[in-house]
Amino acid sequence: MVQYNFKKITVVPPGKDFIDIILSRTQRQTPTVVHKGYAINRIRQFYMRKVRYTQQNFYEKLSTIIDEFPRLDDIHPFYGDLLHVLYNKDHYKLALGQINTARNIVAKISKDYLRLLKYGDTLYRCKCLKVAALGRMCTVIKRISPSLAYLEQIRQHMARLPSIDPNTRTILICGYPNVGKSSFMNKVTRADVDVQPYAFTTKSLFVGHADYKYLRYQVIDTPGILDRPFEDRNIIEMCSITALAHLRAAVLFFLDISGSCGYTIAQQAALFHSIKSLFMNKPLVIVCNKTDLQPLDGLSEEDMKLVMEMKSEAMKTIPQGGDPSEEGVLLTMSALTDEGVMAVKNAACERLLEQRVEIKMKSKKINDCLNRFHVAMPKPRDNRERPTCIPEAVLEAQAVAAAKEKKKLERDLENENGGAGVYSVSLKKHYILANDEWKEDILPEILDGHNVADFLDPDILERCEELEREEGLRLEEAAAQDAFMIDGHDELTKEQREILGQIRKKKAMLIQEHRMKKRTAESRPIVPRKFDKDRKFTTKRMGRQLSSMGVDPSAAVSRVRSQSRGRKRERSLSRAEGDDMEIDGQHSNKKLRTRSRSKSRPIEEVAPGEGFKDSAQKKKAIKKSRDSVKNRNKEARRGEADRVIPTLKPKHLFSGKRGNGKTSRR
Amino acid sequence: MPQGDYIELHQKRHGRRMDFEERKRKKEARSVKKNSKDARKLLGAKGKRFAKKRYAEKAQMKKTLKMHDESTSRQKVDDDVEEGALPPYLLDRDQTQRAKVLSNTIKQKRKEKAGKWDVPLPKVRGVAEDEMFKVLRTGKRKTKQWKRMVTKATFVGPGFTRKPPKYERFIRPTGLRFTKAHVTHPELKCTFNLDIISVKKNPNGQMYTSLGVMTRGTIIEVNVSELGLVTPAGKVVWGKYAQVTNNPENDGCINAVLLV
Repeated sequence: MVQYNFKKITVVPPGKDFIDIILSRTQRQTPTVVHKGYAINRIRQFYMRKVRYTQQNFYEKLSTIIDEFPRLDDIHPFYGDLLHVLYNKDHYKLALGQINTARNIVAKISKDYLRLLKYGDTLYRCKCLKVAALGRMCTVIKRISPSLAYLEQIRQHMARLPSIDPNTRTILICGYPNVGKSSFMNKVTRADVDVQPYAFTTKSLFVGHADYKYLRYQVIDTPGILDRPFEDRNIIEMCSITALAHLRAAVLFFLDISGSCGYTIAQQAALFHSIKSLFMNKPLVIVCNKTDLQPLDGLSEEDMKLVMEMKSEAMKTIPQGGDPSEEGVLLTMSALTDEGVMAVKNAACERLLEQRVEIKMKSKKINDCLNRFHVAMPKPRDNRERPTCIPEAVLEAQAVAAAKEKKKLERDLENENGGAGVYSVSLKKHYILANDEWKEDILPEILDGHNVADFLDPDILERCEELEREEGLRLEEAAAQDAFMIDGHDELTKEQREILGQIRKKKAMLIQEHRMKKRTAESRPIVPRKFDKDRKFTTKRMGRQLSSMGVDPSAAVSRVRSQSRGRKRERSLSRAEGDDMEIDGQHSNKKLRTRSRSKSRPIEEVAPGEGFKDSAQKKKAIKKSRDSVKNRNKEARRGEADRVIPTLKPKHLFSGKRGNGKTSRR
Repeated sequence: MPQGDYIELHQKRHGRRMDFEERKRKKEARSVKKNSKDARKLLGAKGKRFAKKRYAEKAQMKKTLKMHDESTSRQKVDDDVEEGALPPYLLDRDQTQRAKVLSNTIKQKRKEKAGKWDVPLPKVRGVAEDEMFKVLRTGKRKTKQWKRMVTKATFVGPGFTRKPPKYERFIRPTGLRFTKAHVTHPELKCTFNLDIISVKKNPNGQMYTSLGVMTRGTIIEVNVSELGLVTPAGKVVWGKYAQVTNNPENDGCINAVLLV
């Protein structure tokens, strides 16, 4: 289904602007820097790009104009003729033709100059050629600027055309000028057409929409038509003729029977007969308007005869198969008093609908749809009664439900006892008490100068019992444990003792292992002064920190002091006193000469394994590894055991163009 | 009023806003300031366009003002000297009349023989050989340098067949061959797109003439049968000379003036 929307046509710029748009675009979108020293190929490419880009833009812009403007031969004949009436087909086609020629010429110019640019041997020559090429393209456009201006005007006008759908249900209002077509339109739709008491108030087609039987009808108001030869008709009249000729619609022919429009009934009848041929195959309704001024019955005999003639003509439009009833052919109404307006609309809609359905029924396509429709209307087979079947159980349940008394609600009580405001709800009646009689008793708040609530404890007895029970249980447990302790010691069998021994051994092993680890930890960095620039690791600071943690720092401080080397004299004295701090079981050795030497440690058992031949080899390896990290640790350098976050995206792998090298690594 | 003209409809129904006229007047009055501001502020291509437009407007304005002034003020008119007027000291001389009127064609032939032409462009810049030709290196090792390519526009007759490429000394690329020229008739002040028949003479040398190179100042022969010129004898002229007035290789077309 083609939608006729002329609002979407893009703006056609006037010739001068057109050139400016394209040239500035070229300037903005193509490179602007070129030097004499560049390789000649590069210079040529630079200018060729400019020429080609300009040509492409011209081509695109002109193509959109050509594509977007409707081709008069391709659109619905109604629109084709309307556009012809309004804008003159020849002129329109000529303008579009010129655009098309310009497009081709521009393409040809670009082709020629690109070829010449290939032979450009200097920057100057290339530039000259580019200038010439762009200049010639612009000249071409300048020459078609009148056509562009014309098309722009047409575009603006077309965008304002009423959006008439030529294929939908349509009601067309026609008649002499000033007979009340627009007034009817305003009554039936919300189109809001201008109504004035002079001829040709409506100068173009107007469209509105009305509803009938949940369907939407398009109502078209046309300008008045005068009874004169076809050639003499002006553009305004031609609009209505076009609509009449091409739209398959119900036609309302308006007749001013009062003659207040300035035309007699005879004249109007003459018009009717002259444009009769346009009403062929369309449901036609003759509407006698302005009955408030002149009722139909009061017409003179001659006029009546004319009206009847028209009616008989209109009757011919009813197809042969249709019912030959006369209603809905000649109707009277008065737009002023609203009398018969709806009747006219309904009659027109009804007849249009009938006709459309009939046409559809006649069409070939209908068979494809009809064989899918079926409305079943079964006939009764015999006289037997076949009531609906309800199971017994359901019936019973329904009966029970009906019989069951409703629970009496507080609301019902209220209604019984005088309604809202009078009835007061008894809050005490649902109390759960040992004795029902107590319900209504009044509990004193204060008794003997004491608050009763303070002494109230409803379950004190239960709690008491609970406590006693717990006590008993605990006592029993204690007794049982005592009994177990007394005779449990001897109950260890030999096996159990062995197991216990094993457990202890294992424990000892674990402790030893832990100690060894701890000792290794002693080779943690002792930060030399040169790396401790901020003097963070001082004894004073340590003492402060320890005391702030609530530990007596004196022992630790003195130990550290003793480790740091003082003057020789003092040391020999203090050494003589014996340094108890260092005593570490049997390994403590008084022979230690200096603190410069590290403490000796026992030669430990090292379990062989992990690829080592024996424990000696392993020990050697351990020592070696320790030595290797010692210096590094001392300087607080980064080692292989430190936590490392590798560079997630190494720059050298993610940047740069591919030069020499392999795909995986460059 | 058509249905779509909602703006006009609204104005018709409700009128314009109260201060419309005032605003319009003020806006118009202020537009001068806006223009001058634009003239100061706009940059680049936009500024260029604006300046050009403004200049044109101003020039036009000056012209009209002057025209209006002229209608009121008087000024001295110095009459033009008529064509063919004689100075007073020659007035008493007798005019010798040639007994026999030479036909135009004979005149042309004489001139041709003498090789002297009264042409619109009497002098042109000389074109050096290295500007005219591009050296092409040939041979398997690209060491030979005897081949030349013409870098200017050329005319190659329709019946031309190339020599075997191997021995062709001068190449006239197809991209630079022209067959048509825009010829201006100086008296008619009209320009026609005419076919070139041949290159008569290239001012830079005989060799270029024979090669058909067309540079500025070259005399070419064009087909003027379209113009419908007639000889005194009543024959239709079809070949006429014209001089190239532009640099065809730079402009991409040949402009020429008809020699009459």
